[in-house]
Amino acid sequence: MNGTAERAENDMTTPMLEIKNLHVRVEDQDILKGVDLTLNRGEMHAIMGRNGSGKSTLSYVLAGKEDYEVTEGEILFEGENLLEMEPDERAAAGVFLAFQYPIEIPGVSTMTFLKAAMNAQRKARGESELSTPEFMKAVKDASGLLEFKQDMLKRALNVGFSGGEKKRAEILQMALLAPKLCILDETDSGLDIDALKVVAEGVNKLRGPDRTMLIITHYQRLLNYIVPDIVHVFSDGRVVETGDKSLALELEAKGYADYESTDAA
Amino acid sequence: MNVQTPIRLTAAEESLAAQLESVGAGDAAVRFREAGLPTRRVEAYHYTDLKVLLSEVPPLAEAVAGTGAPVFDIPGAYRIVVANGVMQNAGTAPAGVITGKVGGSTLTMRDDTVVRLNSALVKEAVNIELAGSVDPVIHIDRRTDGDAAHVATGSKITVAPGARATVIETVATSDAGHMGNLGTYVALGEGAEVTHIVVDLSATQATQFSTLEYRIDANAKLMSIVIQAGANLARAQIFANFVGEGAHGDFFGLNLIDTDQHRDITLDVTHGVPNTTSTELFKQIGRGHGKGVFQGKITVAKDAQKTDAKMMSQGLMLSEGAEILTKPELVIFADDVVCGHGATCGDLDETWMFYLMSRGIPKAEAETILIRAFLEEIVDAVEDEALGEALSGIVDGWLAQGA
Repeated sequence: MNGTAERAENDMTTPMLEIKNLHVRVEDQDILKGVDLTLNRGEMHAIMGRNGSGKSTLSYVLAGKEDYEVTEGEILFEGENLLEMEPDERAAAGVFLAFQYPIEIPGVSTMTFLKAAMNAQRKARGESELSTPEFMKAVKDASGLLEFKQDMLKRALNVGFSGGEKKRAEILQMALLAPKLCILDETDSGLDIDALKVVAEGVNKLRGPDRTMLIITHYQRLLNYIVPDIVHVFSDGRVVETGDKSLALELEAKGYADYESTDAA
Repeated sequence: MNVQTPIRLTAAEESLAAQLESVGAGDAAVRFREAGLPTRRVEAYHYTDLKVLLSEVPPLAEAVAGTGAPVFDIPGAYRIVVANGVMQNAGTAPAGVITGKVGGSTLTMRDDTVVRLNSALVKEAVNIELAGSVDPVIHIDRRTDGDAAHVATGSKITVAPGARATVIETVATSDAGHMGNLGTYVALGEGAEVTHIVVDLSATQATQFSTLEYRIDANAKLMSIVIQAGANLARAQIFANFVGEGAHGDFFGLNLIDTDQHRDITLDVTHGVPNTTSTELFKQIGRGHGKGVFQGKITVAKDAQKTDAKMMSQGLMLSEGAEILTKPELVIFADDVVCGHGATCGDLDETWMFYLMSRGIPKAEAETILIRAFLEEIVDAVEDEALGEALSGIVDGWLAQGA
């Protein structure tokens, strides 16, 4: 991975994320068919689309999951080739994916995991490791923000967590790791309205001029609480429409039918 | 009369037969010459063919003075040192513990070559009687020093009704091709609660056989843990018998297997009376060309209604060449029982790896976190903190060797 010095040279006008003509194949099937997206610093983007339109594939490709073959195009993160980085390097550089289905890992306590993740990223950036009191304070502050029960931190990561608790744990990780680019994949799925509000509030508090967010959802509901600057419509592996937040409301009223390609019908 | 053609003995078998003769165990020697070491045709040794695997047998051990620090130190433990099979002065026993020696092997005779060898070769065994509850951990520290030697040893641990105790037996050796044959008999009186742990830390050239026998009386509670972290060839056999109602046993085991090593845990649990319960959790982790074997048999007798037994075996293979073999076996003669078994085997879970890495944890560290999580489940079962830490140290040491 390239050093932070080089990245710091990028001026503030370099987009946070540039996706150019991205084609991705999974198990011999073309899923993304030429995605173009530019996300600038501080912007909140939403991608909306039906299930199977390729939204989650995009989030996994950004995070670096194996078995996703990029056949064409490129992804630049702060001007650097993201596709050359391992998943851990991407995370240390500032990319964070809040999973649609957070993974349960028996035997690894949430606390141990959080500390390992925070310190690994600090180490990769050449910073010193957090002391235990510093770590505990950071966790306590972030947990309060998300109404995340402290005793859950002792439990194995995501094991036995309810749907809402898992999503909250994802946002807790996001708050602690303070990424530059947050990708939220269907963060609203499985949440009741109260949990949705708590999670949305947590996300809103993390908005800032240096942080870019990409919200992936197929319902407009979440966007009542997390208001995007720009909305993209995804269909059949590409962006078919881009607009402001009113586009989400329009979609809610009319559905995705207008955007389906005729040959797919 | 049926005259059997004598089998051709290997060099190792010749040595063992001669050793049996040298200690005056003539009948055992005759029988051994007829049968030899068990091969894969013997069901219980199918995956651990001793005729093939045991190429050399060192001479019978001579007594040495057991000095020096233990390889495995448990703060606050009452330690009994057994050097080259001979019990040393054990110091003052804590209240409730009577230590002494008992002549000969402590194992019940059964049709098993390793048990037969132990029975014929053990001269004296450690005898521990636990009259009441004992707070300090009792540590039987067995070490084999000097040149390669064959050491047959034993223990008899008798726990009075209602007593509670934790006993750990460790096996360690000097850096030579030793061969150990440990036989331990543990009897739990009514309502006794015992944690019994056996850890093999022999040198990597050594061979270690351990046979553990448990007799569990009514309402007693046993936790048995076997960790095989040493020797080139190691086999632990566990025979457990529930003889009184209301008893419970938790059986745990761990094989840590490095390249070209062979580790076998063979478990044989018998629920002989009604209303007894047990859990079995055995884990194996292999690197290089290591080979791990777990055979777990649970027998429920005809009258043993309301038996509840759950067995699980899990294998983790960290290399292409590692091999894990697992054979669960349930033999149930009663009709009102709950018995189950499960087995998993594989590599580290890719989705777990991706999740950890997506949070910035580098690949090697993510692997270590997941391996430790896999192994710690066994160590976490131990209540005593100092003992738990000492056992964690074995896991850490093994992980560090592979790093």
